[in-house]
Amino acid sequence: MKTIRWVTAGLLFGAVMVGSGSPAAAQLEGECSGSGVWKDSDLAVDAESVGDELVTIPRKDTVDWQGSVSGPPGEYSGSIWIELPPPFGKVEIDNWGGTSDNNNNAGSEDYDLPKLVPAGVEFKVVGEHTDSNGHCEGYVRLEIEGGAFDSPIIWGALVLTALTGGPLALLLIAMVKSAVGAGIGGAR
Amino acid sequence: MKIGKLITTALLGFMFFLFIGLDLVLFGVIPLNSVVVTIMPIIGLVLGAALVVVASRKQGSAVNTAPPAA
Repeated sequence: MKTIRWVTAGLLFGAVMVGSGSPAAAQLEGECSGSGVWKDSDLAVDAESVGDELVTIPRKDTVDWQGSVSGPPGEYSGSIWIELPPPFGKVEIDNWGGTSDNNNNAGSEDYDLPKLVPAGVEFKVVGEHTDSNGHCEGYVRLEIEGGAFDSPIIWGALVLTALTGGPLALLLIAMVKSAVGAGIGGAR
Repeated sequence: MKIGKLITTALLGFMFFLFIGLDLVLFGVIPLNSVVVTIMPIIGLVLGAALVVVASRKQGSAVNTAPPAA
């Protein structure tokens, strides 16, 4: 999860750990700004300009990120999470809190997502940050570069689909056969 | 109608549609946080149960309409 933590922290409200403010990508509301540049893939994401665009990130890279808030944050707190389908809520990736006078922050982070994290799946990563300047929140739609078969998870999912669908198909076939048989019998 | 068969088939439908939803997510057809992922298993549950109900009714009507033995 460290990679995701970074990507989100760097992307969304990144720098908060050290001082405050953070950056990030995506729909952003509030007095904050942020951006990130993926070194190897030449991908650049700015929180204010990316909008609702789906951002495809490489499985492995180094990101230079920066973020800021409008003034010294004072006491601050925030968190980042991945949204799950309802009613499952969310999975928190990271949270932060403290006191600082620094209104901007920047850094560089290596990440390497494991193969188990599926590629091509759209995640909505949401973050929020609150300090004396006010409240800032935003989200980014992310997917990892690649296809479904890049992760072994897809095979498990397909096998389980077949294992549960098979008996249902057999039942349906038996039902159709009996209906057809009854129809033929009744026609006699 | 056998209740055991009804429950088993409804659960199978639930699981089957749950995995269909998972497949759709993994193939990038729908996002992870889509409500479709939630609805799919419920549809499967209902369809699975309906399948057994329809099958048992067909069987019942076939028995009722069968000509009396000579």
